[in-house]
Formats: sequence, structure tokens, C-alpha cells
Amino acid sequence: MQAIGPNPFLFIGAVLFVCGVVCMTTKRNGIGVLMGVELVLNGANLNFITFSRFTPLGLDGQVFSLFVIVLAAAEAAVALAIALNFYNNHLTIDVDRGDDLHG
Amino acid sequence: MHDIGSLVVHMLDETTKTSVRLFAPELVLSGTIVVMLLCRILPVVWRVPTQWIALAGAFSAFALTLCQFDSLVGGAARAESFFTGLLMFDQFSTFFRMFLSLFLILTITLTVLTGIPDREDGPDFYTLLIGATIGLMIMASANHLLMLFIGVEMTSVPSYAMVGFLKGRKKSSEAALKYVVYGAGAAGVMLYGISLLAGLTGTGSLPEMAERLSMIVAQGKGISDPTNRTIVLASLMVLVGLAFKLSVFPFHFWCPDAFEGAAAEVAGFLSVASKAGAFALLVRFGLAFSGHSKEVSSIAFALGIGLGVLGAATATFGNLSAYGQSNMKRLLAYSTIAHAGYMLMSVSALMVLRFSKYAGAEADAASLSCIEGLMYYLFVYLFMNLGAFAIVALIRNQIFSEELDDYNGLGTQCPVLCFGMTICVFSLIGLPPMGGFFAKFAIFYSVFKATSVHWVMWFVLGAGAINTVFSLFYYIRILKAMYIKPRPEGARKVNYDLMPVGLFVLMICLPVLGLGLFPARFTETFHHVASVLLTGR
Repeated sequence: MQAIGPNPFLFIGAVLFVCGVVCMTTKRNGIGVLMGVELVLNGANLNFITFSRFTPLGLDGQVFSLFVIVLAAAEAAVALAIALNFYNNHLTIDVDRGDDLHG
Repeated sequence: MHDIGSLVVHMLDETTKTSVRLFAPELVLSGTIVVMLLCRILPVVWRVPTQWIALAGAFSAFALTLCQFDSLVGGAARAESFFTGLLMFDQFSTFFRMFLSLFLILTITLTVLTGIPDREDGPDFYTLLIGATIGLMIMASANHLLMLFIGVEMTSVPSYAMVGFLKGRKKSSEAALKYVVYGAGAAGVMLYGISLLAGLTGTGSLPEMAERLSMIVAQGKGISDPTNRTIVLASLMVLVGLAFKLSVFPFHFWCPDAFEGAAAEVAGFLSVASKAGAFALLVRFGLAFSGHSKEVSSIAFALGIGLGVLGAATATFGNLSAYGQSNMKRLLAYSTIAHAGYMLMSVSALMVLRFSKYAGAEADAASLSCIEGLMYYLFVYLFMNLGAFAIVALIRNQIFSEELDDYNGLGTQCPVLCFGMTICVFSLIGLPPMGGFFAKFAIFYSVFKATSVHWVMWFVLGAGAINTVFSLFYYIRILKAMYIKPRPEGARKVNYDLMPVGLFVLMICLPVLGLGLFPARFTETFHHVASVLLTGR
């Protein structure tokens, strides 16, 4: 089997990152935006794993990605709770409908 | 096999003998959280009010950091990295940890006085507050990209929840959603930048990163080299995450919304503590570019110039937007943005001076004054901004409103609160003899020093000076409402409880005055901290 260099992995990571950013900026649904954030985080995670395999970063990269997984879970929990709270008060999850605060 | 065994023994040795001792303040705060949550489970101790446990934890953390700072300045302890180089223990980080635990004490005292949170929610609120403070302390001592990210996330996640803490309020839930959506996005972008930086340099440790960067960049062919471009891109991505935390233009839009929706106490916390932590981190990240390579210096120099322009834009934008505001928290949020702009100017001056082509003894001395100015500004800012937010919270408890129009004629009704507000506002404007004047002076002085290196700094300095004049107008509106406008007919009489509240307000406002009257005492300490950070001596 021919050895695969880091580039294909980094490319997939970059695609995930761009998809996530596009998702964050275009989705009006609060949950959709959070899904975009998860994509970005996983793109970065893929980078870490790739670098841990192919560069002197070594196991540091894997430790990085483990921490990122944990923090992403914590962030998702808080973000979903906040989204639920928003839904309870506004009866919608559309981020554009939150327009009480402006100026 | 033998190697791994000795490695484990060595690590255990380091952890138990050094690291745990140096990490004690954070450990005490973590212990406080556990105790608070246990107290809620056990019915016997449920009667112990949570705020006293939290206050005790904050006091012991403050005492510990004070001791550490004292031994560092006195020479009994020396600066070192701990936890295998993940965190840094030096004058700079210990100063910020001391600063943050002092701020934690003051915030908890404020929440005790204003009664937010209620008894049922106490443990939750203080858990979030203390958790966020631990995150900020980690940010201040981060010496590794992993710690940078963990610190930022540990601060952000509890902050999101705290902003949405007022239950059943439409505005609060909206503010929290906006904050979490933007914050998570910025954190994601920052993480991607970190992954690129770590991958390119093959290390996460900030001091090692500087060396590797100079090696990598020296091999390349200037900015057209793809590797160099990636480094610039990755640094910019990390800076996006930090700029979001600092509410720097154009990543400031969350700040007014989050502050208006949150309770004034929480807004005060976000406005002071998270700025302090983020600035400490920004300085560390900026200094990570120090090396002997000319190419890295030129990248860092360009970043410094960019930060200066951003600082000028942030201050201008904050001050201009603050004009039309009628809500006090929103007005103070824009004022926070403006002040972040001023402080960013000093970081920019630091990077410009440190990474200029003509680096010499004079530039080194001038870059010391940048850090000094930043620390002095943050120290004054702690008292003056917390004072302003605390008084907004205390007045809200009396008149149930945070609108500027409802402040009309309060000057005669609650003289102590309004006097405190006057001191804070004068200091925020930067009028002598308040601390704010000397803080602003110190920052503008360091920017002035940087003008000799690059002409853009003249523009930054000019923007700062004009902004100071601009800001006068909207700050004066607060005083005008309180002292000149009459109290409307039939307005609620303010029942004002003088003793504890007045004492607290004076306790916060007197340091603002004291820092202005006796600046020399503090600048000596700050000078020492700055010189250790920059020169290691």
C-alpha cells in the first residue's frame, strides 16, 4: 500500500472548517449554528491528529484532540441549555427573531 | 522500560513537590466549588449560606497569591514553568492571579449586597463565577497553546451561562444565545489557528514555538512562502479568538447585547475580569514571537501595527456608539469597548517597540513602560469599572430601572452612590487626580515612545487623544442626569440603606482616587514585574 502523506487529511480538515464557517454564517436556526461550530472544532481536531502522526508534535496532538472533544461536549451542553431557554421565552429558535436587544 | 519508569517518577516528583504548591490558589478555588455543591446535597449543612463559603474560598485564594507574589518580588521564589511546562509561574502571571482573586472577592461581596442570585440559585451562580475565574487564572499563566485554549473555554462556558442566569427574562435568554453562538464560533476559529500553529512548529509550548518559528521562517523566502503565509493566517485566527474575548472591533458586537441582557453584576465581571485575563494572554502570545530571527520579528511588527490600528478603531467605535445609548448597562458596555481599545494600543506599542528593526536599550526600556502602563490601567480599571457597574446594580435595586432617564435627580436622594459614580466616571474619562488619568497618561506615553519607530503610531496616538475628548460628552450625560435634571414628580422615593452599601461603594471608589494620588508606589512594583517578564531579570 502506498503511504499517504498528511495533505489529504489536512484537506479534509480544511473542508470541514469551511463547511462549519459557512454553516455558522448562513444558518438562521440556533441549533444549526451550533452544528457549524462542531464542524469547525472537528476540522481542527482532524488537524491535530494528522500533525501528531506526521510532525514532531507527537502525542501532544492526540492530547490536544482529547481535550477538545471534552470541551466541545461541555460547550454543546451549555449551548443547548441556552437554546432551550431561548425557546421557552421566544417560542422559536430562529436567531433573527431575538431582536429585543439592539442599538 | 527503565526509562519510562524514571520518567514517571520524575513527573510525580515535579507535580507533588512544585506544581501543586504553585497551583494552590486554583486548587483552593476548585475545592470551594466542590464544597459548595456538596453543601447543597447534604441537608445538615444546607443552612450554611453559600456566599460565605465562596467568599472564604476567594479570600484564601487571594491570600495565597499575595504570598506567592510577595515571595517572587522579594526574591524568595523564582520564576519557573510548572506542570511540565504547561503553565508559567512568574511575576506577571501571579500579579494577574492576585488581581483576579481580588476581583472575585469584590464581585461576591457585591452579589451579597444586591441579592442576585437568590438563595436557591446561590451554589450554581458561585460555581459558575469561581469556575470562570479559575479559567482566567489559567489564561494568565498559560505557557502552552493547549492551556491557552482550555483557559479561554473554561472562562467562556461559565460566562455564557451567567449571562443567561436571569430566568424567565426574554432579554437575558436572547443575550445568552447571541453570546454563546458568537463565542463558540470565535473559539472554533481560534482552535483551528492553534492546530495550524502547533502543526507547523511541531510543539505547543510558547517559548519553544518562538525558536521553531524563527527556524522555519528563516528557511522560507519572505511572505510569499506558503509556510510563512500559513503562520500569519494561523496567528490571525488565534488573534480573532482573543479579540472576541477583548471585544475588539470588529468582534465587539456581542458585548452590548450580552451586557444589557445580563445582570449588572455579571456584566461587571465580564467587563473587567475577562478583559484582564485576555490581555495577559495577548501579551504572552505576542511575546511568543520573540526570537533572533529578523523575519519573525517583521511578522510580529506588522501584527503590532495592525493591533494599533484596531485599537484606534475600537476606541473610536466604542465612544461614538456610546453617544445615543439610553440604557446604563449598554452605555457602559460601549465604554468597555472603548477602554479595550486604549489598552490594545499599549499592547501594540509593546510589539512595535520590541520587534522594531532598531531594537536597542532605549526601545527595551520603552517596551517596559508599555507593560507597566497596561498593568496600571487594568488595576485602575478594576476599581473604576467595577464601581460603575456595582452602582448601576445598587441603584437598580432601588428604582428597578437601568435607564439613564430614570437616574434624573438621584444626586440628592442617594448622595453616596452618586458620589461614587462621579468618581468612577471622572476616572473613566481620565481627569486628574483620578487613577484613570495616570493610567491613560502611561498608555499614551508608551504609544508616544513607539511613534519614533513607525509613523502609524502617531495616528494611533492622535485617535486616542481625540477619543478621550469624545468620551467626555457621554460620560457627562450620566452626571447631568444625576445632579442637574430634577427628579420627576411622583417618582418613587429611594430608600437608601447607608451602612454596608455605602461602605462597599467607598471601598471601591477610594482606591480609584488613591491610585491617582500615589501612583509611584504601584509603578515601582509594576516596573519590576515588567522587567522580569521581558528580560528575565
